[in-house]
Amino acid sequence: MTWHLDPAQVRGYADGTTGGARAASVEAHLLACADCRGLLAAAAPTDRLTAVWNAVQETVDSPRRSWIEQLLIRARVPEDDARLLAATPALQASWLLALVGVLAFATAAAGADDRWLRIFLVVAPLVPVLGVAGAYGRGIDPTYELTRATPYPTVRLLLLRVVAVLTVSVIVTAAFSSVATQGWDALAWLLPSLAMVGLVLVLSRVVDLPLAAGAVALVYVIAVFGLLLRRRDVVDLFARSGQLVSLCVAAACLAVVLSPARRAAFRRVP
Amino acid sequence: MTATVVTQDVTKRFVRTQALAGVSLSLSSGVTGLLGPNGAGKTTLLRILATVLAPDSGSVRTLGLDPANPREQTRIRRSLGYLPQEPGFQRGFSVFEFVDYVAILKEMTHARARHDEVRRVIDSVDLTLVSGKRVRALSGGMRRRVALAAALLGDPSLLVLDEPTAGLDPEQRLRFRELVSRAGEGRAVVLSTHQTEDVAALCQDVVVLHEGRVRFQGTPAQLAGLADGRVWYAAARGEGAALAWRTGDGRHRNLGTPPVGAEPVPPTLEDGYLLLLGSAAGVAA
Repeated sequence: MTWHLDPAQVRGYADGTTGGARAASVEAHLLACADCRGLLAAAAPTDRLTAVWNAVQETVDSPRRSWIEQLLIRARVPEDDARLLAATPALQASWLLALVGVLAFATAAAGADDRWLRIFLVVAPLVPVLGVAGAYGRGIDPTYELTRATPYPTVRLLLLRVVAVLTVSVIVTAAFSSVATQGWDALAWLLPSLAMVGLVLVLSRVVDLPLAAGAVALVYVIAVFGLLLRRRDVVDLFARSGQLVSLCVAAACLAVVLSPARRAAFRRVP
Repeated sequence: MTATVVTQDVTKRFVRTQALAGVSLSLSSGVTGLLGPNGAGKTTLLRILATVLAPDSGSVRTLGLDPANPREQTRIRRSLGYLPQEPGFQRGFSVFEFVDYVAILKEMTHARARHDEVRRVIDSVDLTLVSGKRVRALSGGMRRRVALAAALLGDPSLLVLDEPTAGLDPEQRLRFRELVSRAGEGRAVVLSTHQTEDVAALCQDVVVLHEGRVRFQGTPAQLAGLADGRVWYAAARGEGAALAWRTGDGRHRNLGTPPVGAEPVPPTLEDGYLLLLGSAAGVAA
């Protein structure tokens, strides 16, 4: 060893003002010289060392995020919201595959014959409703019981997940719809679907979300069969008057869901 | 000592089943064990204490607050750790991710501080080495420890543990006892169990529930004391024995009214429990 760090060099390296080739030379020397490492340890600011060590530990110890969390964070969703969303049952691959399967079937049927287009129109509004059913609730979310005992506002968790599930299912349904139908028909299912999701959220005040979704879906299916029994065209449900009614229902439900009284109701225990 | 939990005439009914029929209790800091046969109402009571369920009637005060008031309910939840009877886990989440998920639900918003707390509780249940593993890949005992870690987040003032030792092998149960006894220092822990040995080993206070009613509240020694002078050994099942079983050394341990000349032995907590529940536990007391 032909040289050692002088006190000025130690201070400069410790406070981060030594840069470039000189810093590299100091580091090479420190690797080989226990005496100078001792001098540096005494001079290094402990708060900075602690901060650096914590950052290293945070990077090394935090497990790799799932693809869905990474996707959400890239879409500028806050990190903690992304984790809550990643736990949504309806955003798991198996659930999404089931929805895609239903839509693929309906789309294939619509392509086979123009009459079968009606199948697509009947099925498409139900897809977001089924997605919302899997967003949160007893029997759906494995941590439902645990979640109920935490201070996190239920209404926020529920709406956060519903918005995420709705966004995904609407995009997926719209993609299939653009294949199955033409022009404005491709979006005819959207407002009825949003109206049904709104009703599900309002109903979830008195019953669990999956049950509410099941009830709304059942009423819709009965309405469709009612039309068929009266030998009317199911497309009537998606005509101008149907769209107007759907818009009104969706708006009214949104107002109820976002009202302060509703938020308090979500906090109440069963 | 100030009571952490006070219930007064709490009732709860599920369709045809009266789960709780007027439960009045006062629990202080330290570990309290809830004992009782299946269907006694233990889980219902713990779910009410954990604010997951509301009673049909009666009043509950937890940490001096009223869980029926939404604002106070939120404050209770901020000071509460809860281990459900069957804790569910998100498929695909690792131990760290699951505990972190619960930490977010417990309103820990600052990522760095939250992650430090997650590491702390994972370390406290000795799961640091598997924190990156998927929860579904762990054994039942390890999963229970993961759930306990989640319950310990934020150093809660009240821990509600529903059958924390269910399904664990003897070694895991001992480890769990160690963890719970450590957790019980300086806070109130209420746990339900079927294992009288757990209560004897862990609890400062014991409550026996039967058919939705409190049949006993006192110390484990007081519960064992109920069988004072009513336990004896004999070569065969004794006359007047409500319950008797052959022990490993060939003698019969008898519970009930000892015959003249029988020499009573010191009772265990299990003896007291069995005699207290009488016919409900299969014994004619």
